[in-house]
Amino acid sequence: MSKEIVAFCCEHSAYPAADLAGKLRLDCPENLRVIRVPCAGRVDVIHILKAFERGATAVLVLGCEDGACRHITGNTRAKERAKYSEMLLKEVGMDNRTVDMLNLAPNEPHKFVRAANKITKRIKESEEAR
Amino acid sequence: METKIGVFLCNCGGGIKNIDFDAAREKVAKIPGVTCVNLSSNLCLEEGKEKMLSCIKDENIERVVVAACSPEFQEHIFRQVLENAGLNGHLFSMANIREQCSWAHEGDVTVKAVELIKMAVNRARLLQPVEKKELSVNREVLVVGGGFSAINAALQLSQVGLRTTLLEKEAVLGAGTGELGNLYGSDTSSMISAVEGDENIEVLTSARMTATEGKIGDFTVRIRKDGEEISHKYGAIVLATGYQTELALDSEPKLRAEDEAISGGNIVSQEKLCRMLENPSLEREPKTIGFMFDFSDENSRFPTLATLNNALAAKQKWGSEIYVFCKNVKVDGEGVEGLYREARDCGVVFLKSEAPPRITAEDGRVEIEAKDVLLGEDMILACDLLVAEELLLPTEGTEVLSSLLNIRRDSKGFYQDENVHLYPIASERKGIFFIGGCRGDLDLGRVLTDISSVVIRVHGLLSSGKIVVDSERVKANPQKCVACLTCIRVCPHGAIQLVRVDSDKEVAEISDLACDACGICAAICPAKAINFEGYTDEQIVAQIEAIGAP
Repeated sequence: MSKEIVAFCCEHSAYPAADLAGKLRLDCPENLRVIRVPCAGRVDVIHILKAFERGATAVLVLGCEDGACRHITGNTRAKERAKYSEMLLKEVGMDNRTVDMLNLAPNEPHKFVRAANKITKRIKESEEAR
Repeated sequence: METKIGVFLCNCGGGIKNIDFDAAREKVAKIPGVTCVNLSSNLCLEEGKEKMLSCIKDENIERVVVAACSPEFQEHIFRQVLENAGLNGHLFSMANIREQCSWAHEGDVTVKAVELIKMAVNRARLLQPVEKKELSVNREVLVVGGGFSAINAALQLSQVGLRTTLLEKEAVLGAGTGELGNLYGSDTSSMISAVEGDENIEVLTSARMTATEGKIGDFTVRIRKDGEEISHKYGAIVLATGYQTELALDSEPKLRAEDEAISGGNIVSQEKLCRMLENPSLEREPKTIGFMFDFSDENSRFPTLATLNNALAAKQKWGSEIYVFCKNVKVDGEGVEGLYREARDCGVVFLKSEAPPRITAEDGRVEIEAKDVLLGEDMILACDLLVAEELLLPTEGTEVLSSLLNIRRDSKGFYQDENVHLYPIASERKGIFFIGGCRGDLDLGRVLTDISSVVIRVHGLLSSGKIVVDSERVKANPQKCVACLTCIRVCPHGAIQLVRVDSDKEVAEISDLACDACGICAAICPAKAINFEGYTDEQIVAQIEAIGAP
């Protein structure tokens, strides 16, 4: 089983933030795989579930800050979908898989890296606990 | 036959050190469909682009993948290379092996780089061409409002050669600006006569918008004037409806700034003070004047400017003693700090207080009681005139206009001002812009900047009479669409409409002009009828499938 974290990044905020994290040489987990989307609102439940089907350990959906979404409602829709997918996962007993939705601005590379590292740490802890 | 995919690797002039490009090249060549893999160190320079172009032509490549820097930088340049090689610019995908791979990690990252390239190749395989098309747009502009910013915008739009209509609900232009002549410096009357003499500007007074439909380049607006309804087409709509003020005093009911007598006429608004200053035969000149601002609204640039201007004018004309009560004086506007210094040099006293002062009015005098934070003592000032703090509010028609045009407002009721991605002047619907007070509290410098930005944007959109757009990049499949209206409700840009295909079927149609390509509709469509080329479900899933694959 692979241990990737899949991050859906909005091209207006999270994707530039991820680029900036690289430019600043911030320490980012190597198993992070970024998929660029035009808006967090484009991310559908099926995309999140497919990522888990392929063996991902966690999915991150990253969009613009509240009230500053380039497409007005994309980030709030993404948040709802992330919650819904998590509920579906729980229902089928995959409750150790997490879907996180995070709002960030394009100039917040540290927030991006912190989120990725936090998930890596959480996965490690839950594995050790088992 | 399998689609031929060409992969171009670039080490960014030696900027990518921890990837073994030769090993990566070997692995990438084994991915199904990849017919050629090129290694370069300067793909984005002229040399590299020429090599790429000739390779695409020689090898008959159908899809192109570039593995190099972030698509944020060079994507458009590479798309142009594809176009030059006779390939559609959309048949292109990038793998970000620099910012999000090489630079993000220490040590050898060849394995991750190959996986990122696999993701890009998987996506590229499914890409379909998107043709461009030219659509003609109406070159007329509708400016709603009749104040300083609306008149100024109309004049500038006419100067750049766009026919403009001014729509004003009052009977004359500049109805709200007469009293503010002192503030704006330049007199609005000369601007109004310039508008009236301009052949390119049509003025509709006592007129209101009753309905609108359509999209950028083709808005149909119904206007009611003198009991008659007329319908006209415009390419863009500019809202410059201004603001209104309300005295921020604890009184019930709230006092409007226009109200004449407030406790014997000795508590007034800035506007009233301006009128008093203009009146040459004032019964009694006030000896002591108190001003208040920045207590109930932090965003107090406009009140600060008005206070400084009027305090100086009163000092010069009447020689009164002037006390200004405020929490903070915000001097970040153009020339405001100079005004503040000038006011202090003239003898205007500024008193800093944290809490709003207590006001008591009797016998034609007003008592202001406040705690001065610098002295730490309570102060009581009896003055002849108090210029009260004002709240800036959207004008009454704002709500109606926003629902007619289907645009959002912020928590205070102004048109959006907060969304950094949309820039201050643009709405979420293409072709609708805001100027000045109608999008929040503003000072003159900012209003002028707004006007210039809007004129540039509108000119850029409409001046040639044509807009080039992607044709059917986001498209609802009429066979799958069940007209559930979900996409029409969620589209943030008002780009989707229901159209009749035959006598018993209606389907959603996405306007190429108004669409901003966010994909919210594609994600939400319950029938999965909407296809967003470049980000279809299959293309996103194909990327996911490459992750962790052996």
